[in-house]
Amino acid sequence: MNAVAHKLCMLGDFGVGKTSLVARFVHSTFSEKYLTTVGVKVDSKEVALPGHAPCKLVLWDIAGRSQLDSLNMTYLRGASALLLVADGTRERSLHAALNLLMQSRTLLPDAIVALAVNKLDLVEQWEVAPAAIAELRRTLPVHETSARTGAGVEGVFADIATRLAA
Amino acid sequence: MPASLAPAESGDGDRVDVVRLETPCSPADDVPHASAFDRLKSILFGDERGTLAALDARVEKIEAAQRELPDRLPSAIERAQQARMAKSLARPVTEALGSAVEQNRQLIVDVLFPVIGPAIRKAIAEALRNLVADLNGAIESSLTPRGIRWRVEAWRSGVPYAEIVLKHTLKYGIDHVFLIERDSGLVLDRESAPQLPDLDADAIAGMLTAIGEFVRDSVGRDGSGTLDAARVGEHLLWVVQGPRANLACFIHGVPPAKLHAVLEQRLEAIHVALADGHDAADETVRRSLHPDVLMRDARVAASAPSAKSRWPAYLIAFIAVAVVAWIIAQRIRDDEWVEQVRASLATHAGFVTTRIERAGGALNVHGLLDPDAEPLDAAALGGARPRTPLKLDTVGYVSTEDTIVARRARRLLDAPASVTIETHDGVLALGGRAAAAWVDGARDRAAWVPGVRRVAFDVAREDDAVATARAALAEIARAMPSKLVAFVRETEPSADSAAVLDGIVADAQRAAALATTAGTPIRWIATGTNDDPGSDATNARVRSARAQWLADALRARGITNVATAPDDDALARATRQRAAFLRLSDATP
Repeated sequence: MNAVAHKLCMLGDFGVGKTSLVARFVHSTFSEKYLTTVGVKVDSKEVALPGHAPCKLVLWDIAGRSQLDSLNMTYLRGASALLLVADGTRERSLHAALNLLMQSRTLLPDAIVALAVNKLDLVEQWEVAPAAIAELRRTLPVHETSARTGAGVEGVFADIATRLAA
Repeated sequence: MPASLAPAESGDGDRVDVVRLETPCSPADDVPHASAFDRLKSILFGDERGTLAALDARVEKIEAAQRELPDRLPSAIERAQQARMAKSLARPVTEALGSAVEQNRQLIVDVLFPVIGPAIRKAIAEALRNLVADLNGAIESSLTPRGIRWRVEAWRSGVPYAEIVLKHTLKYGIDHVFLIERDSGLVLDRESAPQLPDLDADAIAGMLTAIGEFVRDSVGRDGSGTLDAARVGEHLLWVVQGPRANLACFIHGVPPAKLHAVLEQRLEAIHVALADGHDAADETVRRSLHPDVLMRDARVAASAPSAKSRWPAYLIAFIAVAVVAWIIAQRIRDDEWVEQVRASLATHAGFVTTRIERAGGALNVHGLLDPDAEPLDAAALGGARPRTPLKLDTVGYVSTEDTIVARRARRLLDAPASVTIETHDGVLALGGRAAAAWVDGARDRAAWVPGVRRVAFDVAREDDAVATARAALAEIARAMPSKLVAFVRETEPSADSAAVLDGIVADAQRAAALATTAGTPIRWIATGTNDDPGSDATNARVRSARAQWLADALRARGITNVATAPDDDALARATRQRAAFLRLSDATP
């Protein structure tokens, strides 16, 4: 059975671990230099979902920045899902992720959204308070991940794939 | 004051019933008056008042709906059945656009200019790019043997030469074809050539879309440019842009321009299918994107004969036929010329043709030539073909032709002009008169002349004075025809003709004296000649006029025994110069 492809854009401030999450999730076809030249790197991975047709996630890893410019907005076009990534050790990165969500909503009002608070392996250094995460969970799915250890990585992508297939 | 019914009169005296209402004097009078008025209205209109109230309510409802229409219209349009709405709006929207174009032409132009301008530039740039590619291919191969062979193929097939060049020179292959959704960059469909390693089509299509956006954002100043092609070494990427989907074609080698046209047609067909609700992954669409199918269609498109290209083929065919006909005609003329040369040589006494051949653009004539024969004139033999050199290769031999034997006998016997020499079938006949000493010597030597089988000697012996006079007279008669009075044109003599004429007059006067001594009356014949050009009639007239001119000139100088030659003078015909000469009449003894 052919998998249905969905475009998933990853947004987040510089250094939050978007590319590392993708690298942990897929075997990349393209070099990371595209991130610094073109501003995006695209990979894909087919996700098997119990009870559903397989789902193929086409991951658009958009270069990290706190504001979306016009080029980045064009990269978002046609996306079915957004994965916001924040660095748990930098609270400002969480604000940047939420700001990016607000900007992208004008273009993608119906896109599925999830938040990955990364660097779970450094949880003792987190600036993001558990209360803030709990508050955020009331409005959008929040996953705590570690690209270094792989904790939560498969889960966040599986969650998005499941919601896309539903 | 209450209302009352009262009769009233019109101006013309007719009586009518009207309701007359008195105007109230104060506000306090309004209430009783209004209620009375209502009663009056109920009396007058009865049930109609209810109808009016319903109509008022309905009008109010409609007006309220109209007031709310701007706010409700967007959601109403969204809820409406799109296909039906589009169909309903097609005609009024079309008419509105037409009316807008008529009334606000400049405004429409200003609005559309940013869209139309880039589209036109893109079309022109693409056409020029294809043209340059075609010209380069055609120029590079136009003058080679291979190019000539392709021209013949183009002529035979009716296909433009440039496309034949492309067909033969441009080797290419299609590796992958991706149908990519324009906005998301997701792969709608893909086909790859067999035996190629698998690749992550979704990732490639996404990156390709991203790079396209990046290029447009970076380079396209007005935001309308698109990434249509990219080349790395011998690998080429063509991206054909469509409103909903793009077609990306990964090619190795140099594809023909027709392939791009085929891709464009294929993408248009896909858009039509998508608009009709078909799936992009439909089997028909998938099959139409297969590399082999695309390359086959490009080949068919490239080899399809074009009506516009027919006339060059016809022109080339006509030229080819004309050239072949010209070559055949030239060959026939050459053969006729060679036969003329051969016939002319056959009449040349003392010459035998052994071989005639064409070599190096010249006509080589090989043969045997007697030393006593007239020398061969190659230029005269060439005649009608002055540009084709005629080369003579002769070897000496002894001819037994009567003319040559007679000439040889006269040379070897040193016969005076008064002696006649004729040969016939090897028999040498000598006649006339000669000095006694010559007669005695010649009688013995005549039989030794090569080619003479028998001698018939009948030469009368003369005393020395008469014989000398006759010999001198014969010598003058022999030499006289070589004195040619030349003419510039018609009967206009050349500058040196006066001196020649003086020489002729002197010889004629001396011949008259010798004739008296020899006892032989003489008579001269004036003969006109002409060169080759001109019709026969014109040349005959000119020859006659020149002969007459010479006769008149001689008579004017006292030479009266001159007549003009008949036009069948063989010597005159052989001279081939614009001239006149004098010869002794054959009737002279």
